[in-house]
Amino acid sequence: MVVNSINFLLFFIVVFLVYYMPVVSQRKNLQNIWILITSYFFYGFVDWKMLPLLFSVTVVFYLLGAWLKASMNSNKSRLASRITTLGVVLGVGLLLYFKYLNFFADSFASLLQAVGISASWSTLNIVLPIGVSFFTFKLISYVIEIHRERIQPAESFIEFATYIAFFPTILSGPIDRPNKFLPQLRKNHQFDYNLAVDGCQQILWGIFTKMVIADTIALITTEAWTNFSSKDASYLLYAVLLSPVQVYADFDGYSNMAIGVGKILGFNVTKNFNHPLLARNVSEYWRRWHMSLTSWITDYVFMPLNIAFRNLATLGLFLAICINLVVIGLWHGANWTYALFGFYHSLLFIPLICFGKFGKNKKLKQGRWGLPLMKDLAMMILTYVLVAFGQVIFFATDVPSISSFISTVASGSWNMSFLFDISTLLPIPMAIFLFCLDWTSRKKEFAIQRASRIYTNKTINILILDLFIALIVAFFGYNGQGSFIYFNF
Amino acid sequence: MERKEIFEKLNEIFCDVLDLDEVELTDTTCADDIEEWDSLSHIQLIVAIEKAYGIKFTSLEIMKWKNVGEMVDSIMSK
Repeated sequence: MVVNSINFLLFFIVVFLVYYMPVVSQRKNLQNIWILITSYFFYGFVDWKMLPLLFSVTVVFYLLGAWLKASMNSNKSRLASRITTLGVVLGVGLLLYFKYLNFFADSFASLLQAVGISASWSTLNIVLPIGVSFFTFKLISYVIEIHRERIQPAESFIEFATYIAFFPTILSGPIDRPNKFLPQLRKNHQFDYNLAVDGCQQILWGIFTKMVIADTIALITTEAWTNFSSKDASYLLYAVLLSPVQVYADFDGYSNMAIGVGKILGFNVTKNFNHPLLARNVSEYWRRWHMSLTSWITDYVFMPLNIAFRNLATLGLFLAICINLVVIGLWHGANWTYALFGFYHSLLFIPLICFGKFGKNKKLKQGRWGLPLMKDLAMMILTYVLVAFGQVIFFATDVPSISSFISTVASGSWNMSFLFDISTLLPIPMAIFLFCLDWTSRKKEFAIQRASRIYTNKTINILILDLFIALIVAFFGYNGQGSFIYFNF
Repeated sequence: MERKEIFEKLNEIFCDVLDLDEVELTDTTCADDIEEWDSLSHIQLIVAIEKAYGIKFTSLEIMKWKNVGEMVDSIMSK
C-alpha cells in the first residue's frame, strides 16, 4: 500500500477522522494507541507475516532501553556499556540475518573455491521483511542515544512502539531519530490547518516528482540498465546522465509524501533531502542526499571511526570516510556493487581532503540575475556528472556488468537519432526544470511550499486545489508505473 | 588545574587549529557558534588538546560533549 494509491487514501481518511475525533484528540494516549493500531494494520497489509517480528524486536528494545537507564541511574557504567553493545549487536544481527546472510555465505564459498577448497551449501530461504533497514536503525539509535545521555527512555511501551512503527515512514523512511520524534508523542495533536495544508502541498509535490518526472525518466534508464548490450553508446550515456535526477525525483517524491502525511497528523518528520542538485562537491552532495540515513551513519559509524583513527591524521580520516561510504552502499542491499559504489564515492573525497575542502561548505551565493555564481554552477555540473557515473555501479546487477556497461559505452556506436523522439527528449526539460526549482526554492523545505499566512487567501486555496486536481490527473496518467526504488532497500 | 587556565589554553588551541585571530570560549560555546569548527577540525582539536595535556579521552566521553564546558569538565577529570 503505497502513499500514492487509492487504498492508502481510503486508509488515511479513516485514520484522519478517528485521530481528530474530539474524544481521541484530547488525549495523547488515545492518539498514540490509534496511530499504533493503524501502523500495525498498515505494515500487516503490506507483509502480515512480519508483524510478529516487528512486535518482538520492539518489545526487546523497549526492555533494553529501560534496563540501560536503570543501570545508568545506579552508576553501573560497565553494565550500561554492555547493554548498549548488546542492543547494537542485536540490531546489526537482525540486519545481517535478514539482509546479508546469504550474501556473506555465497561470498565466503566463492572465496574458499578461489583458494582451491570446494565449498557449497544450499542458500537459506530468508524472506526480507519490508522496511527492516529503516526500523532497525531506529531501534539501534534508541539505545545509543540513551547511553549517550541525549534522551530519556520512552515513557511507555505504546509511545516507543508508535515511534518504531509510525506508518508514514516505516516502509522507506525518513529514519526519524528518537531525540526529535519521542517528544512529539508526548503531547496531543489538535488539527493544525496551516500545517495540514503545508502537508497536502508536500504530498502533492511528491506525487508530481514521482509520477511525472521519475517515472518518465525511468522508461529510459530501465531500458538502458536492462538491455545495455543492444543499445548505442549515446543512448546509454544519456540514461546515465539522467539517472541521478530519476533517483532524486523518485526518493524525494516518496519522502515528501511521507513527511506530508506526518504533517497532516501534526508530526514533524525529519527532512531527507536538501536540494542535492545544488551540491558543489561530493562531500556537500552527501550532506544534502538521503540526510536521515547519512546523518545516522555519520553519528554512529563515521564519528566513532574518525575518533578511533584520530592519530592517523589524514589517512585516518580517509579510512573513516571509506568505511562510512561502503557501509552506506551496503545498506542498500547485499551486493558487491553497492560496496563498490560506496568505495567509488570515497575516492571522490581524496581531492577534497587534499585541498582542505572537506568539512563545512560555504553558503550558496546568488550572482547576477538571481543565478548561481559561474564557479558554483561549474562545480554543481561536475559533481552531478561524477554522481551520475556512480549510478552505473549502483544500478549494475553484478560487478562484471559494470565493466560490460563501460566497455559497451566505450566501443559502442554514436547515434543521436533517439533525441528526435519527443518522449525520449522530454526528460531534458524536466531535469532542467527540477534543477531550476531546486535553485529558486533552496531556502524552502520543498519547491511549492508557501508561507502559512498565505493560506488565509481563498484564491490561493483554490489554486492549491487546482494544482491538486492537475496532479491527481498526472498520477492517474502514470497509474501502474514503477514502484519506488527505495522500497527495495 | 583551574577552570580559567584551561579556558585560556583552549582559546590558544582553538585559534591555532581553526586558524582564528581571536576566540573567547565559554561554557556554552558549541560548534554552531564557530564557522570553522566542523567535524574534521573537531577531531584535530581533540588531538591537539590530548597532546597539550598529555591525556586521552574515551570515545564515549567525546560523543557526549554538547559544548566547550563539558569538554573542560572532561579535561579536569583526568
